[in-house]
Amino acid sequence: MNRTRQFALLWAFAVCLLLGHNAYLWLVQRIVPDTDIMALLPVQERDPLLQQSFSHMVDAAQQRVVVLVGAAGWQDARRAADAYSAVLASRKEIFEATPIGEQTQSDWLSLFQRHRLVLLTAQQEAQLRTQPARFWLEAALSKLYSPFGGPNLGAWRDDPFGLFAGWLQERAQETPVRPRDGHLFVADAQRQYVLLPLTLKVPALSMTAQETVLPLLKQAGDAARKATPQVELIQAGVILHAANASAQASGEVSTIGIGSLLGIVLLMWFAFHSFKPISLILLSIGIGCLGALSVCWLLFGRVHLMTLVFGASLIGVAQDYGIYFLCNRLAADEKLDSPALLKRLLPGLGLTLLAAVIGYMGLALTPFPGLRQMAVFSALGLVFAWLTVVCWFPALIGGRTLKSGALVRGYGAALQRWPLLRMNGATLLAAVAFALAAGYGVSRLGANDDIRLLQNPPKHLIADQLKLSKLLDAPTPVQYFLVRGDSVETVLQREEALKARLDLMAAAGRIAGYQAMSNWVPSARTQAARRQLIEDKLLAAGGPLHAVAAQTGEDAQWIAATAAGLRTAAAPLTLDDFLKAPASEPWRHLWLGDVNGVYASIVALRGLSGTAVPQVRLAADGLEGVQWVDKVAEISSVLGRYREYMSWVVLGAYAVVFALLFPRYRRRTWRVLAPTALASIATLALLGFASQNLQLFHVLALMLLLGVGVDYGIFMQEHPDRRDRTPWLAVGMSAANTILSFGLLGLSSTPALQAFGLTMLLGTALVWLIVPCFGSTKESSND
Amino acid sequence: MKTILFAVALAALGPVHAAVPVAKIQAMLAKPPVMCGRFDQSKQLAGMKKPLAANGRFCVVAGKGVLWRTLQPFPSTLRLTRDEIVNYQGDRVAMRLDAKTEPTVRMINNVLFSLLSGDLAQLETLFEVDGTVDANSWNVVLKPRQPALEKAIGTIKLDGGAYVKTIVMGDAGGDRTTIVFSAIQSGDAAMSKEEAALF
Repeated sequence: MNRTRQFALLWAFAVCLLLGHNAYLWLVQRIVPDTDIMALLPVQERDPLLQQSFSHMVDAAQQRVVVLVGAAGWQDARRAADAYSAVLASRKEIFEATPIGEQTQSDWLSLFQRHRLVLLTAQQEAQLRTQPARFWLEAALSKLYSPFGGPNLGAWRDDPFGLFAGWLQERAQETPVRPRDGHLFVADAQRQYVLLPLTLKVPALSMTAQETVLPLLKQAGDAARKATPQVELIQAGVILHAANASAQASGEVSTIGIGSLLGIVLLMWFAFHSFKPISLILLSIGIGCLGALSVCWLLFGRVHLMTLVFGASLIGVAQDYGIYFLCNRLAADEKLDSPALLKRLLPGLGLTLLAAVIGYMGLALTPFPGLRQMAVFSALGLVFAWLTVVCWFPALIGGRTLKSGALVRGYGAALQRWPLLRMNGATLLAAVAFALAAGYGVSRLGANDDIRLLQNPPKHLIADQLKLSKLLDAPTPVQYFLVRGDSVETVLQREEALKARLDLMAAAGRIAGYQAMSNWVPSARTQAARRQLIEDKLLAAGGPLHAVAAQTGEDAQWIAATAAGLRTAAAPLTLDDFLKAPASEPWRHLWLGDVNGVYASIVALRGLSGTAVPQVRLAADGLEGVQWVDKVAEISSVLGRYREYMSWVVLGAYAVVFALLFPRYRRRTWRVLAPTALASIATLALLGFASQNLQLFHVLALMLLLGVGVDYGIFMQEHPDRRDRTPWLAVGMSAANTILSFGLLGLSSTPALQAFGLTMLLGTALVWLIVPCFGSTKESSND
Repeated sequence: MKTILFAVALAALGPVHAAVPVAKIQAMLAKPPVMCGRFDQSKQLAGMKKPLAANGRFCVVAGKGVLWRTLQPFPSTLRLTRDEIVNYQGDRVAMRLDAKTEPTVRMINNVLFSLLSGDLAQLETLFEVDGTVDANSWNVVLKPRQPALEKAIGTIKLDGGAYVKTIVMGDAGGDRTTIVFSAIQSGDAAMSKEEAALF
């Protein structure tokens, strides 16, 4: 008794430390879990530059909300957009609108005008090389005599051959968005739209931000509709998806969560006629989670969101210890005191813990840092929960605390009627039938690791997104080329080599175009070549410039002055000049700059369709320093590798657990593991019959299933006598709880959770049904 | 002082109290569905000694667009429709702007169509219109409302009667283009076969 008290006090002290540390972490340090899925990858495989290029693209996108306000007439669209903006302008602390001024437009041009001679399109450059002087004479005269020569970018003499105008036109076509009456304008055949690019000043992924931003957007939308009733609103932004996911998750938490909690409480009430057991079990799980987090933080200095999600699954295993103790308490003689009971249960309890911990430790041997963290977190959580049961439960639960209910008696009786497997013809037949059915089912299983399976945004968000990207012709932030080199010049030259290939892709219709820094700032080598080309082909004596002068009756002095004017605009344009100019604002995200001595840039693609990806990515082949980056494919492949690795870990865990149990159960060891193994195979077969594709979350569930299933096997083998209903009760309670807590996740509309839940639901139910069949046929002593 | 205040008030009221009875001019215009004629253009550019003279034929087709064929001193054709602007030099396409990639194509087409057909009601959305009207002729000055547009095309003067007779465009840089229209025909016969084929 005294020792029980000592342990309980000692553990109370440890728990106080844990609580203190957790309070410090959450309240003082305000820790935030990692969410970057790439942090789960082995370190040596991660390329810091690649990583940075991606966060560059994504961070820029994350805080952005793009709204298109459209109507058939421009005035209607403008009125609606002004009403919309007015609502947002009242909350300047939330949204930052990008102002469009006339000033920006003239600043925009002036930099390029100073360097216009070296700014040519690829087509112009090719024409300069191949077309005769006559071609350029005609071009100049046509421009000269045309009444509507397009917008005046300067005097005719500053760009007599229309080269700069052509270059600007090509640049303008990188986006269909145009300034118009102080607004940004874009149109399709039916409607004219005002584009409102907004930047969030509050973090898009924060729930509180979502709660303020969404009603505000709705209010703005209502104002726009009031101004122009037939207005079309298209909205897109990470925050809309995030808010939707949070709403969906909290909706599911309230339905699934309340459902499962209610079920568990009712079950406990019918079993023990007291709420004390459920609160004690929750206590053990809670301490397990907090303890795991504390120690994990001390060990790693960070915690990944995936770790917490997977770690939460340890509830399914951690509850088994408490339930096992409680069921035995219920069945034991009231006179037997709890510490003595615990002593009797300790070998079984110890084995269940060891089996689970060792199973999880298998994960720690993988090269994936994410899995290692999950393994440590789960194992620690189980140890803390187990210690809570062992140290506190005997002190808290006396002999007379629990009374069994009618449910327990009725359920317990069912065990007697359960079939028991014996070595006979019927068993053999069942085994063959099972093997055939399972083999067929498993063979039908495919695999799909597509990251897009992890989320399913509602249709209207996807429709808006599609319409928006079609209207804006914006490049995708997840598939692009990464170009690197040891200097700015090398990077620009490599971009140009890549662009030569991309031009062919664009001509073949595989992409609509590309965005690259070298579109604006050609490499110094290219600039020099172009200067020479213009000297030779346009300005040389007897060339097109002289011919133009002859046609218009100008003299040698005019020629000299015009040529001199053009040459002053041939000064090299440097990347730094461009980056400093306001004109570069929309393109700065393409330039990564100096990353540890390596310069890098992004070449983004517009109008890339999924089917063209395999061909387009080949453009990087054989080009030094050019790399194709496909974030979707990459994350999907990480998930795929995790799935394969985890599958091996599950198999390895079976072997380790077998070895661990063998000293205690000897020839009965297989009886502990067989129900779980068969249930896992049957679950896979059922998933195969249902034409499901295997993904990481199915395999993670199988790992958890091993953890709970082995517990059931151990409980049953600890009490081989069929008349003893205690283990059967513990298994039933534990399995029912697991099904209620995890199985109900099968109802989730998030595919990953659904996969996890469905596997747990099927697996746990099957283990529960199968485990009594593997009871020993004859009495044997626990040696 | 009083006059300044009055001028400011007038300016603030803007198009509501337009000085020109646009409706009156609109009533005077013939606005046929198809209209073709001859143009004589004289361009004086900054930095060029001599004015550049050119002439040719033009067609304005309601619901379709504008065809502008320079015949002298050398042939060049500009065709503006709802979906594209194309410039031919002989048979070769020297420039093409597609409305799909260049959304301002429709605006440019709209403005030019309105200019050539004298549709001041349309032009008023983009320009401040000022001028005089008498029994059978009118003249107006169009000043772009947006500084960007003013920079790009400058101020435009139009005069005419049932049709637009002259257009003078001048910008701040000193360039000045004068276009005089003559021999205007309307109806289906106005357009030659060759021109119809180009549309």
